Amino acid sequence: MARKSFRRMIAKRVINVILTVFGIMILNFCLIHFMPGDPINNVIPRTSKFDPALKWELKEKFHLNASLPEQLGWYLYNTVTLDWGTSYSLSARPVFDIIMTDLRWTLLLVGISTVFTILMGMAVGAYSAYRRGGAFDITATSTSLFFYGMPTFWFAMILQVAFTQPLFGMDWWPRLPSSGYYDTDKLGSELKFTWPIVLSVAKHLILPSMTLAIGFLAGVSLMMRSSLIDTMTDDYILTARAKGLTDYQVLRRHALPNGMPPMVALIAMDIAFVLGGAYQVEYVFNYPGIGYRTIAAIGDLDFPILQFIVVIGGVAVVIANFIADMVLMYIDPRIKIS
Amino acid sequence: MGTKQFTGTSREASATVHLTGSTRLERYRRRTRPARFVFALAMAVFLSVLLVSLAPVACQDEPHVASVAAVLDGPVADAGENLTILVGEKFILNGSGSTGTDLNYTWSILYESRTKTYYGMVVELSFPRPGGSEANLTVTDNSSQTSWDKIDIVINEPPKTFLDKYLTTILFGGILGGIALYILVVVILRLRSGQDVISAARREKTMLAGRRYLVIIKKVLRNPMGLIGVLVLTFFGLLAIFGPYITPYDVKEQHLTETFLMPSKQYWLGTDNKGIDIFSELLYGARTSMLVGTVSAIIASVLGAIVGLYSGYVGGWKDEVVMRLNDVVLSIPWLVLMIIVAAFVGEIDLTGIILIIGLTGWSYTARMVRAQVLSVKERQYVERARAIGSSEMSIIRRHIFPNTFPLIFANTILTVAVSILSESTLSFLGMRPSNEVTWGTMLSFASEASAFQTGRQWWILAPGLCIVVVVLGFTLLGYALDEILNPKLRRR
Repeated sequence: MARKSFRRMIAKRVINVILTVFGIMILNFCLIHFMPGDPINNVIPRTSKFDPALKWELKEKFHLNASLPEQLGWYLYNTVTLDWGTSYSLSARPVFDIIMTDLRWTLLLVGISTVFTILMGMAVGAYSAYRRGGAFDITATSTSLFFYGMPTFWFAMILQVAFTQPLFGMDWWPRLPSSGYYDTDKLGSELKFTWPIVLSVAKHLILPSMTLAIGFLAGVSLMMRSSLIDTMTDDYILTARAKGLTDYQVLRRHALPNGMPPMVALIAMDIAFVLGGAYQVEYVFNYPGIGYRTIAAIGDLDFPILQFIVVIGGVAVVIANFIADMVLMYIDPRIKIS
Repeated sequence: MGTKQFTGTSREASATVHLTGSTRLERYRRRTRPARFVFALAMAVFLSVLLVSLAPVACQDEPHVASVAAVLDGPVADAGENLTILVGEKFILNGSGSTGTDLNYTWSILYESRTKTYYGMVVELSFPRPGGSEANLTVTDNSSQTSWDKIDIVINEPPKTFLDKYLTTILFGGILGGIALYILVVVILRLRSGQDVISAARREKTMLAGRRYLVIIKKVLRNPMGLIGVLVLTFFGLLAIFGPYITPYDVKEQHLTETFLMPSKQYWLGTDNKGIDIFSELLYGARTSMLVGTVSAIIASVLGAIVGLYSGYVGGWKDEVVMRLNDVVLSIPWLVLMIIVAAFVGEIDLTGIILIIGLTGWSYTARMVRAQVLSVKERQYVERARAIGSSEMSIIRRHIFPNTFPLIFANTILTVAVSILSESTLSFLGMRPSNEVTWGTMLSFASEASAFQTGRQWWILAPGLCIVVVVLGFTLLGYALDEILNPKLRRR
């Protein structure tokens, strides 16, 4: 019985994912479609001498003369077949190529900062919940809250300045590269898998990933703390203590597993948001990822790029939430049964 | 004497009516019906006045078109005369005065430090924000000889009409007047029908509710996080109210001879790129930033609460549809969504920013309220209310809403913090409200002028710190309220 309902539940979730992705695409189509202006004007040169017949032909080619449902059909077909059109501003490069190139860098940045945050955040949160009200708890919580309330771009700017010059005349102060993704001046603009380039990439990652990680760390550790405190007051923890388990055993075996579910949801949501939205960090550090591209595209009103960034970001959130649901079912069997 | 006797009979009458089955509530409803009608009428009049005042201002005259230039052997560009236009007004750049054979026209227009190129003899444009612009016309003939001409375009703010100036006053006056009228009508009707103005039951209920709120306030103040939050917010709240009146300099007045001054006794934090005192801007920004944060958070919460209550209470396929839509809105990247909404809103002023943040931020609240409604809906008192024949609306109003309200309230406080951050981020990325000073616009101008690199740290640090502290205040208060009002966390 349980198995059957479990299957039905997964099927329902999958249908939800598909519906949501479909909804994102339709909303995206509507938003772009109802933008003011004739899209064909972005492709053809703006002179009055341009042949109207050619313009008509181009419109036919892009299905702009078709009816609205037909256009929607073409849009969905092209999206699914990864034919995402060409950029207006970047000498007509295919949008798919541009987004995939940028996505690599964003994934690298987000991946590193996320791994760091999850490990650090959970450790800090667990320890401050474990020694609640202690010196560590108070310091960690107030520091976290301070970083939590900070505009990310502001913090990024401060870090950028702090690590480009020796602070207060301290010579040993480290200086870190604060712009770009690796040293293109010295090592050439062609990205090769050689030792100096890898090293340079790693160095350029430090500041942006630190900025992202610290902003996100606060959220994770606060959540971990409150979720653990919640479970620590439950009766079975008291039982475990009464059985004579050590504090560490209680924390590791009883409190942590039950404090995890809210964490999984939070982390999934944050990863998804960061994936579509490391805008501020990438913008300040000139890091050529999706976020940087988004802001550049907004400036140039490059709609082909913008609309697929919307799709990519939306799909990332949906999939992350789906995976979080699956993980939650795995670690909390109660969800499976109900 | 007469009135007293009248009251007496009325009470007796009500007692008999009560015995025959008509409830007091029903009679109250019947009595206040005319009051509701009058109130609706007043609101309708007020709304129509509002609509009329929002109607667009009449068009201006046609822009000036080209003059003639002397004929020389090469092509001669003529971009026409300098233009003075209004914000949002469409104008025509006409290069038809240029002479030469078989010309290609290229207009490059510099606006807000960005150049755009248009091809063609005649170009029609409009600018969204006040300021200056330059239009360069380059003409090339078939033997690729070129010539160029430049005109300046001054973009002015449209003249303010009477309604533009006093719109806020009329709006708030209208709302307050409507409320006052409603209260007056209710009081008069009750007095005429011989009821007490405030019934004993109602007085008792209000006092109980007041005592409950007092307990919550006491708990908040006893909680260290809540106390710090309240103190911080009191300080910045007072600053928001009185800040703009105590600024040493006018923040809207530019002194172009005194730009980029370093901190001195005269200007405590120096001056910015327009020669405006940064300290004054800081004081003034408290009001605008907190206004944007609060109002947009309220908009988002109200929208979210309505969607959540509806979706959670109705259930079934309607709930599914609303929640899928909600998922879609929640999944779309936040910044891109705001940009797209901004493109629809058009010119961005403070109201525009508030609307953008408010209209895009409701989906999280909606989801949370729905979850709470789902759990409240199954409680026994709701079932009991349904069993004694309460209407759906009254169940929502009297049972479901009051039980979700604490959650909504705590969440609104947290949303204010997020909204303030959103505003500063939007400003930083270039979507700043025109002609307004907020902490966000200060940061954005400071970073554009690379304040850090030129040794003007305070220009960036001061507004940033203000944002951090205010956001911290709201977050702390929000957490404290959440802890006190949310029964699941109460036991820790």
